[in-house]
Amino acid sequence: MAERLLEIKDLNVVYETDESVVHAVNNLNLVINKGETLGLVGETGAGKTTAALSIMKLLPDKTGIIKRGEIGLENINITIATKYDKRLLRGNVISMIFQDPMTSLNPTLTVEYQIAEVLALHKKDMKKAELSKRVDEILEMVGLPPSRKHEYPHQFSGGMKQRVVIAIALACEPKLLLADEPTTALDVTIQAQILKLMKELKEKLDTAMLLITHDLGVVAEICDKVAIMYAGQIIEQGMIEDIFESKYHHPYTEGLFDAIPDLSKKTKRLNPVEGLMPDPTDLPTGCFFHVRCRKCMDICKTKEPEIKWTNADKTHLIKCHLFNDNK
Amino acid sequence: MEQPLIETKNLKKYFQTSEGNLHAVDGINLKIFKGKTLGVVGESGCGKSTLGRTIIRLLEATEGEVLFKGNNILDYGFEEMLNIRKDMQIIFQDPYASLNPRMTVSEIIVEPIKVSRIITNNNKINKKVSELMDTVGLAKRLVNSYPHELDGGRRQRIGIARALALNPEFIICDEPVSALDVSIQAQILNLMMDLQDEEGYTYMFITHDLSVVKHISDEIMVMYLGQAIEQASSDELFENPLHPYTQALLGAILVPNLSRRNENKEIVRGEVTNPISPKPGCRFAPRCPYFKEDCLGQEIEYKEVDKGHFVSCVLYNK
Repeated sequence: MAERLLEIKDLNVVYETDESVVHAVNNLNLVINKGETLGLVGETGAGKTTAALSIMKLLPDKTGIIKRGEIGLENINITIATKYDKRLLRGNVISMIFQDPMTSLNPTLTVEYQIAEVLALHKKDMKKAELSKRVDEILEMVGLPPSRKHEYPHQFSGGMKQRVVIAIALACEPKLLLADEPTTALDVTIQAQILKLMKELKEKLDTAMLLITHDLGVVAEICDKVAIMYAGQIIEQGMIEDIFESKYHHPYTEGLFDAIPDLSKKTKRLNPVEGLMPDPTDLPTGCFFHVRCRKCMDICKTKEPEIKWTNADKTHLIKCHLFNDNK
Repeated sequence: MEQPLIETKNLKKYFQTSEGNLHAVDGINLKIFKGKTLGVVGESGCGKSTLGRTIIRLLEATEGEVLFKGNNILDYGFEEMLNIRKDMQIIFQDPYASLNPRMTVSEIIVEPIKVSRIITNNNKINKKVSELMDTVGLAKRLVNSYPHELDGGRRQRIGIARALALNPEFIICDEPVSALDVSIQAQILNLMMDLQDEEGYTYMFITHDLSVVKHISDEIMVMYLGQAIEQASSDELFENPLHPYTQALLGAILVPNLSRRNENKEIVRGEVTNPISPKPGCRFAPRCPYFKEDCLGQEIEYKEVDKGHFVSCVLYNK
């Protein structure tokens, strides 16, 4: 049995404003083992980023509240971590790559400074010369010439900036890397380069990764496990083969696949899920997806479905009434 | 032979910068026939949006001709242009930035009608607005909403309704679905294809997403640093890509299944080079895996290697 690294139990996150309460994450359960890559897939507003921010303890103060649940990293419960503990964790044990490399670097500091900053914070005994040598090594690792380390972010292209962001995130060789849409802002050929780099580094450093994306193509390329999120819940989860090759799927997952134009077939019309994501301040009763579901039954409107395993190995789970009896 | 609805001849758009001329669009020849869709694909900075904007004169061309039904619209004066704009419309990429936040949905859709004065009777205008909203699938109750109250998919429908308001013949779609989620993207693509079937619109569809472009286009043109490097029918281009850059682009598509997961893919190295004062020769040469000396120093011919299949690469210059 693989060793557990991250375990999220029954996590509920809300954003409280004066007018309403936004239920961003509802009863989320998730496990990531050491060295594993889990793809968290969903549309805008599904709660993917909120889940990652709760792990990073970066939820906005005052408004973003973890109502219930536990996030365990190795044996530490980070939901109750103090400010001091959080600082030790961030960048050192967990780090995060954000979506937009253009805005996630400080434009007034050199690339060397920004990478060395993480090291200086977490590896206090490193001497200045060592730091500089380590920065060179890291830059080489992400495929950038160390000779350019004295340059500023604006002197780099988008793909190179994302390499710098990856360098910062991996500087302390964290155990868990949260990557929030790391290639969405990049061109396809650059995306292919960055994904290849991430795959190589992950193997080399044995880092586990939570990859947040809306692109099932990226998932097929890089992930070991997949969780599909809808309205703050995981509605289907499994090994990569379960999601891409099994014949049992949540209707929403089917809709996601049907919305992508298939290159191998000539289809005249796409067959997407109609309608929109429900309003997170006013979630429907029963199954959150029932309003848009093509296979909606009476029970779906009133009763929340339970989680069912579709196979004997218990790797593939679906949260849908369709699977409640026979499987 | 049938006359194309839109044709460009050696169209160029240079921007002056302090370091020299930036060749955003550099000698594009294209033809789009009535009721067809031309997809224009390329990575950021290849000049695809500039091409679209130059064709409908949101930007003034540096050189070349744009023929609409055989007439060069670059010679048109203000009045003539106002007239021809009814027939040529554009849908913009970002439904968040392309709608005036201080105008209601109906005001946005009505604006082109008011500007061109094709309908002046207020009752008729209101009727037209509700027709248009119906066509693009916007609920009547949204008529007095402001853009910020709506989600991206609905906003893009407003952008489409606005483009359709004057019954244009030719619509430039500049990445109309890139900012949207997949299921919304599919809804909008379906809508656009239905409209084409019903009304016979002609589209120029600009995008960086290859699976979308294959889905919607009859013909595809691939651009690299301001130049067209390959053009063919949609099926032909995907089955038989000739230019190394097209091959690299197609190779970089991530398909949502596991068939190509463990394949060792050829990934094109490097990044797009500087479009300022480019030297003669193939602009893809520095990244090309088949680089030869012939690639530089001379302009590469844009050659028809098969019927309707054009490519500019020395590999096919026999």
